[in-house]
Amino acid sequence: MTLGTLDRSPPPFFKQGPSALSKLMLFSTLSLFLMVADTRFHLIQPVRAVLATVLYPVQWLALQPVHALKNSSDYVSGLNQAQSDSEQAGRKLALQSLRAGQVEQLTQENNRLRQLLALREQLTASVMAAEVLYEAADPYTRKVIIGKGQIQSVELGSPVLDESGVLGQVTRVHPLVSEVTLVVDRDLVIPVLNVRTGERSVAYGDPAALGSGMELRFMGSNSDVQPGDLLTTSGIDGVYPAGLPVAKISRIERRPESTFAKIYCVPLALVNGARHVIVVKPVSGQMPPRPDAAAPSVPAPKRASK
Amino acid sequence: MIMRSGQQLLLPANPVFIGFSLIAALLLDMLPLGRVPWMPDFLALVLVFWAVHQPLRVGIGLAFVFGLVVDVHQASLLGQHALSYTALSFFAAMIHRRLLWFTVPSQALQVLPLFAVAHGLELLIRMIGGGIFPGWIMLLAPLAESLLWPVVSVLLLAPQRRAPDRDENRPL
Repeated sequence: MTLGTLDRSPPPFFKQGPSALSKLMLFSTLSLFLMVADTRFHLIQPVRAVLATVLYPVQWLALQPVHALKNSSDYVSGLNQAQSDSEQAGRKLALQSLRAGQVEQLTQENNRLRQLLALREQLTASVMAAEVLYEAADPYTRKVIIGKGQIQSVELGSPVLDESGVLGQVTRVHPLVSEVTLVVDRDLVIPVLNVRTGERSVAYGDPAALGSGMELRFMGSNSDVQPGDLLTTSGIDGVYPAGLPVAKISRIERRPESTFAKIYCVPLALVNGARHVIVVKPVSGQMPPRPDAAAPSVPAPKRASK
Repeated sequence: MIMRSGQQLLLPANPVFIGFSLIAALLLDMLPLGRVPWMPDFLALVLVFWAVHQPLRVGIGLAFVFGLVVDVHQASLLGQHALSYTALSFFAAMIHRRLLWFTVPSQALQVLPLFAVAHGLELLIRMIGGGIFPGWIMLLAPLAESLLWPVVSVLLLAPQRRAPDRDENRPL
């Protein structure tokens, strides 16, 4: 029998290091501290950014097999699929070209009218395309990771769109990647406008609804909403440009015992399968400065009752 | 060496292989399969395995660091996996002398509570932090992890079960 057959080094009898219990205390205290610092004080972003950058090559490696599988399945799906796709795209383009012509004319007209009325120019947004790397595996939130980061000058809070609507908002920026919280996440709120009635309201993510949905809260039970109404961004929040489609109302429950109606919406963006997205610069930089809050108009004092 | 009767004497574990298996488990966890609450956590499984079999090499500190890495990758609360892996490897250190006296199927049953506690800890933290409840299907995750225990036992002990002196009949 050769010498290397058995582990011949004796186990350390006296030099055991700190006990398991003290290690447990140390590391659980450390992780509790990290959690509190992460949620309450946002101190940990540099640590996270460094770890994310170090991890990037490993992530890239892990992404490769799945991407290769996807690409090869796209390749195999073949000619028929490609033909039908191109046919569909052509039809869509034809429809849109008509619309584009109209838009051109309308924009011109709108500009002239706005100049006439001396209104502010409409905000224009600069955009950047990005690819969705993966959906975050964390089951307690709804996030995706996109492959553009600080180096490509992604800004915190930028709205993210896919081809059919608003997908979410950038909530964390690392040097090479960014995290996007989806509109169906419980923590994301988006101000919307009902296109049919012009009424403004606020849509909340509501993942508890079967699959993934949104909810329009605080609408009176007699408010004018109908299933099928389109909700777009209202543009008054300083983040989202106005007029981007967000969701469609799918179901309304009006309860006699409640002041508010329960309104369920379905997001228009592909929250479960978006692959290419557009990151829009938040419009807050282009907004006019707020009126001076230091000098509020003082209302005339009420007369004391006699 | 004290061990169960009828067991094969094992070769010493190779530290490089331990590191490789941990990285491979991390890569498996990182596969972009989307949001699957019942997906077993391969890294937790491998960490517990080495904490039981090689307690001097893989301990609580390493588990904590891997937990941080997983947190950053999953974009979850920083420290959530670190805490659950710390607890996991602490409990593994508690049972490591007892566990190897059992047969592999009953070992799988004995590690089930460990994984359940780890997932329960994560759930508790996220519910306090205001997360979405992922559904009861996540109860399958610890079950799947302990079902994978025999598989991992075979795979990760295979290099230690090689022949000490190779010949034509036992080339490996």
